[in-house]
Amino acid sequence: MTTTVVDHPAGPLGRPGAAPRSTQPWHRRPGDRLKVRNALIGWTFILPNFLGFAVITLVPVLTLFYISLTNSNIFGTATFTGLENYVKLASDKSFHTALLNTFYYAAAHIPLTIVVSLSLALLLNRKIRGAAFFRTVAFFPYITSIVAIAVVWNMLFSPEFGPINQFLGLFTDGELPGWTVDKDWAMPAVIIVGTWRDMGYYMLLFLAGLQTVPAELHEAARVDGASAWQRLWNITLPCLRPTMFFVTVMITIASFKVFDLILVMTDGGPGQATLVLSQFIYNKGFVQFQFGYASAAAVVLFFICILVTVVQFLYNKRKEA
Amino acid sequence: MNRKIMTAVGTAAAVTLALTACSGGAAGDAATEEPAGPVTISMAGWDLAAVPEFQTLADAYHAANPDVTVELKEYPAGNDYDTALTADLAAGTAPDVFIVKNLKNYITFQAGGTLLDISDVAAELDPATGGLEAMAIDGATYAVPYRQDSWVLYYNKDLFAQAGVAEPDGSWTWEDYDKAAVALSAAFKAAGSTATGTYQHGWQSVVQGFALAQSDGASLDSGDYSYLEPFYEQAIALQDGGAQPTYATVTTNKLTYQAQFGTQQSAMLPMGSWYIATLVKQQASGEANAFEWGIAPIPQLESSTAGVDNTPVTFGDPTTMGINSAIDEAKVAAAKDFLAFAAGPEGAAALAAIGITPALIDDTVTETIFRLEGVPTDDLSKFAYTTHETLPENPVGEKTAAIQTILGETHTAIMSGSVPVADGIAEAEERVANEVG
Repeated sequence: MTTTVVDHPAGPLGRPGAAPRSTQPWHRRPGDRLKVRNALIGWTFILPNFLGFAVITLVPVLTLFYISLTNSNIFGTATFTGLENYVKLASDKSFHTALLNTFYYAAAHIPLTIVVSLSLALLLNRKIRGAAFFRTVAFFPYITSIVAIAVVWNMLFSPEFGPINQFLGLFTDGELPGWTVDKDWAMPAVIIVGTWRDMGYYMLLFLAGLQTVPAELHEAARVDGASAWQRLWNITLPCLRPTMFFVTVMITIASFKVFDLILVMTDGGPGQATLVLSQFIYNKGFVQFQFGYASAAAVVLFFICILVTVVQFLYNKRKEA
Repeated sequence: MNRKIMTAVGTAAAVTLALTACSGGAAGDAATEEPAGPVTISMAGWDLAAVPEFQTLADAYHAANPDVTVELKEYPAGNDYDTALTADLAAGTAPDVFIVKNLKNYITFQAGGTLLDISDVAAELDPATGGLEAMAIDGATYAVPYRQDSWVLYYNKDLFAQAGVAEPDGSWTWEDYDKAAVALSAAFKAAGSTATGTYQHGWQSVVQGFALAQSDGASLDSGDYSYLEPFYEQAIALQDGGAQPTYATVTTNKLTYQAQFGTQQSAMLPMGSWYIATLVKQQASGEANAFEWGIAPIPQLESSTAGVDNTPVTFGDPTTMGINSAIDEAKVAAAKDFLAFAAGPEGAAALAAIGITPALIDDTVTETIFRLEGVPTDDLSKFAYTTHETLPENPVGEKTAAIQTILGETHTAIMSGSVPVADGIAEAEERVANEVG
């Protein structure tokens, strides 16, 4: 931070701040004034951001915790009901389904996206003709409207007329997947589209990380006769660990929060085959106006995200140690 | 420090909640004095450019009562209307009059104290006003219907003639409808056409709305949904037999009923009466093909309610308007008068003039609707439009929204073939018992 330069007790320009500290604490020292001034400058820098965070995030989150302990339907007086909402969640089969589906989505989407985006990044990190073009192409899904993505992929997945099943039909005479209208295939379909949409963004992060891998390490390994696989495993991946950690945390949180894609693609169906926690919360809150109950489910989602992130941090710390 | 912050935030949250909680009920049982001098009341509507009914009612009322101006406040269309309105109601910034768009949310608005008791307005309305009776909660009314679309059967006379299948005569049961759909599809297929006998859109209403309205003793609150079974068996049989596009095709290809019927891809279409105005408009603009069409009463479960000498049973939720309980007391009388106008014969005439089906269908309305260019004028169409017992799809009740969510999921599971009909219904019953109580 810039204040560290100003705060230096013995500034190079010989400002008053450079004066030696007084040994008498009851005297107002020139250094104290400077400290206060610097602190104020520091606060000025962070205040707009902190205010924004407090108003937009902190207060709503704290309010959410409170509402989760009430029977609020947004109107009228909310009655404090203690842990009643949480007790109800524990026996709510729809909540269990949403929780399981969220884990299902995350368990498949996280590794798949990491593998695909890292592979793309490794492929497009080479000096090949048209690399910039292919990077742009891979990034395109990420900036495309989610509704457009859902409509087009739904058509591609159409069991009767969709090109995907027509293609698969070339290889088999057996029953083809029903994709978004089949309870067993709907989630894989959503995971495929989720991975396709996110791969470009994480590919960019991996590409940025790959620029930090020292070329001389690769050269030395090559001289020592290491194969491409050995170089990937022993040089690239260890050097990419900070990026990998960041990407994993980001994908994990995004996977647990997945909402928009599923809402427009399957609306949680068929039945509850793709009902995830975010949509459960949305349904309870904005469709059924059970804001207290929806808030309790949101608190559970909040703690799941926190827990998974903390575990990842601890794991990363242990690896670094 | 942390404690101080927590205290400050807690206080702020408590104040915010208290403020939002206290926002309703300012007018309460305000005396309904006659307004003195010009009054402006605000009203919530959505997508004002595409939905002219709000401006039509506001203009018609202002013309009859020059001292009162109804100012419109635009909200987003679709489900976002309820979300945005809910936020404004909670914050105390909602307009004086607002539309209760989805009947299943009426009870939430009422229980939340956001709606003024307007039983006096309801008492003065014609008892024949569609959906009025269903709006009573513990003997009081908080919103009055100003429009009510009912579901009828649209059919393409040209396609029926080409296929050599007899047109509906008003006496059809669902069995007759199925037979016609199958016969039409077979004739189209033989002629090399991909058109289907009928098109039932993917909404849960298309199956469940009729089942609830026409089945004896059917009730959402009962927890017994066995009445849905024959209707689902019929819907599945239609798609399996090729008489109607499959649910998979309807959803994955985002088929629209306007395109299916308007471009003659299907010969029949069960749909709400709102489609009359749309079809007329689309035929005039060329968006839909030019063909002869008509409307017939929706097929019946039992022959006892079928036929032009009976009153066919169908479904449809009324669209209603109520008064924000936080309205300025000085405006209450004007707002009530506006509601009485909108739900009464004058409002009905104004709505009919723009092709909208009002809640009160009288001779003037029928004449106006059937005078519009492009609307079929045969007797059966007039009968279907004017004569029906229309029951709500979402009966007013605390549990309706939650039950409908579960039944909506049941609908997608059954129609996609993910579960057999009986299993899907049994699961719905279990879930309602477990999650709604």
